[in-house]
Amino acid sequence: MIREMKISLTFQKQAYAVFFVVILSLVRGVAYSNEIGIALETPMALLAFTFCADTYAQEIVSKRSEIWQLCPMKKRMHSIYRRIVIQEMFLLALTVIGYGLFFLFQNPYRNGMGQGSIEGEIYQFFVYFAAIAVTLGFWGLLSTLFSCLFRNMWVGIGGCLLLWLITNSTIGDRIFGAWNLFSYTFRNAENNSDYSWICGKAVCVCIGILAAAALPEIIKKRG
Amino acid sequence: MGIQIEDLTVTFKNNVTAINHADLEIPKGIFGLLGENGAGKTTLMRVLTTVLSPTSGTASLDGILYSEGNFEKIRKKIGYLPQEIDLYPNLSVQECLEYMGDLAGIPRQTYKERIHYYLEKTSLAEHRRKKMKQLSGGMKRRVGLIQALLNEPEFLIVDEPTTGLDPEERIRIRNLLADYSEGSEGRTVLFSTHVVEDLAAACSRLAVMKKGKFLYSGNIKELLEQAGGHVWICKTKNERVARELEKKYHVSSKQYVGDEVQMKLISEAPPQMECSSCEATLEDAYIYVANKELQPGLL
Repeated sequence: MIREMKISLTFQKQAYAVFFVVILSLVRGVAYSNEIGIALETPMALLAFTFCADTYAQEIVSKRSEIWQLCPMKKRMHSIYRRIVIQEMFLLALTVIGYGLFFLFQNPYRNGMGQGSIEGEIYQFFVYFAAIAVTLGFWGLLSTLFSCLFRNMWVGIGGCLLLWLITNSTIGDRIFGAWNLFSYTFRNAENNSDYSWICGKAVCVCIGILAAAALPEIIKKRG
Repeated sequence: MGIQIEDLTVTFKNNVTAINHADLEIPKGIFGLLGENGAGKTTLMRVLTTVLSPTSGTASLDGILYSEGNFEKIRKKIGYLPQEIDLYPNLSVQECLEYMGDLAGIPRQTYKERIHYYLEKTSLAEHRRKKMKQLSGGMKRRVGLIQALLNEPEFLIVDEPTTGLDPEERIRIRNLLADYSEGSEGRTVLFSTHVVEDLAAACSRLAVMKKGKFLYSGNIKELLEQAGGHVWICKTKNERVARELEKKYHVSSKQYVGDEVQMKLISEAPPQMECSSCEATLEDAYIYVANKELQPGLL
């Protein structure tokens, strides 16, 4: 596990991810605490697919993939999944820190789920945490899948960016509605009883599971 | 049994034929693969490591046919050092090799013992804690070679392992390969290079490749015998004559000795000037074979 951490969480990657979150929490304005999740979800998705695109693509670039091909498939996949989990955990920790930084730097009005109480704030945070965990997992897996499929990290990033631009837009919101990949961001934050955005997260989970299942086949075929 | 290649052809999507109806038998022991850049050596190795599938023809390893269903079986028998490989720069030598051992599915205790053995053998033991990015090119090649040896493969494929290394590093790697091929019965080492002297020092059998075809396959001694009587030393004081000779013949060496130019020429018949026959080196023999088949008129 430590070796995989050293491989997939290089200092440069950690540095740009931390920098990104700090800058975001400084420049993205929020007035109320229930806007923090909205402010974080789409930028964190952007960070996730950029961050995870080299999970396996680095093996291709450095020609190590030719050695990997001689190794048992099970071992190869274990290593790739471990790398994905490590990166996702790091990003998840960053989103939690990012949430805190918004409070620290911008001191928004506390209106946790409209209740304004500490319990409400905590509940709001856990809803955010669940939504962002799904978002990070989905975009990380998708960029790994695209990168492996096209054997190119930049194609992985580009493909995800295209999907990100489509779904993170007014048109995307209009077309997909509650089924949008960013349904949490586009939800009606004022209406606390509206949980229809879960549909969009369910889509993310389903596509994510499919991506994770397709990955071994792609690695096997494309090398 | 080694490796058998029959009528093998590899054509890429851009219609470039890297291997053209090639036949070859690679016996047990250390076997050299010699050829200029772009001859098709790396493509052949990629086929033999199952990285690439041939367009037509067959290959078999110890009687196991290279086919999708047999790839798992074949891969277990192979160790591979690609031509250009950048092993994990942020891991230490020890960590990198342990990671490769884990990935190869070798039991932990076994790979630890092997890593210890090969690090000692390649004089890398004192550098085991250094990060890969801190190593010199030669050290990185040696670590690469150790990773290829970790599963003690029956068939070791090394693609230009000595290119760009200093003489001492090259000798170390050559000796390691020679020792490995002799270490246990039934091991084959396929050693690809375009550095002729490395093959002369390490192999007794080789194949010469040019433009995707095998021009020669067999004993080095026989290759030298083939070239025997076709290598000539000519001396001239006239620069114009020297230039004429260069145009007319393949010159394997040219030296200025005093006011004379001494040239080694490869030619079927004695050159039409005063010259003496001399013993062929492997480099001369390679030039003789490489140009005899494709440009018979010149020789």
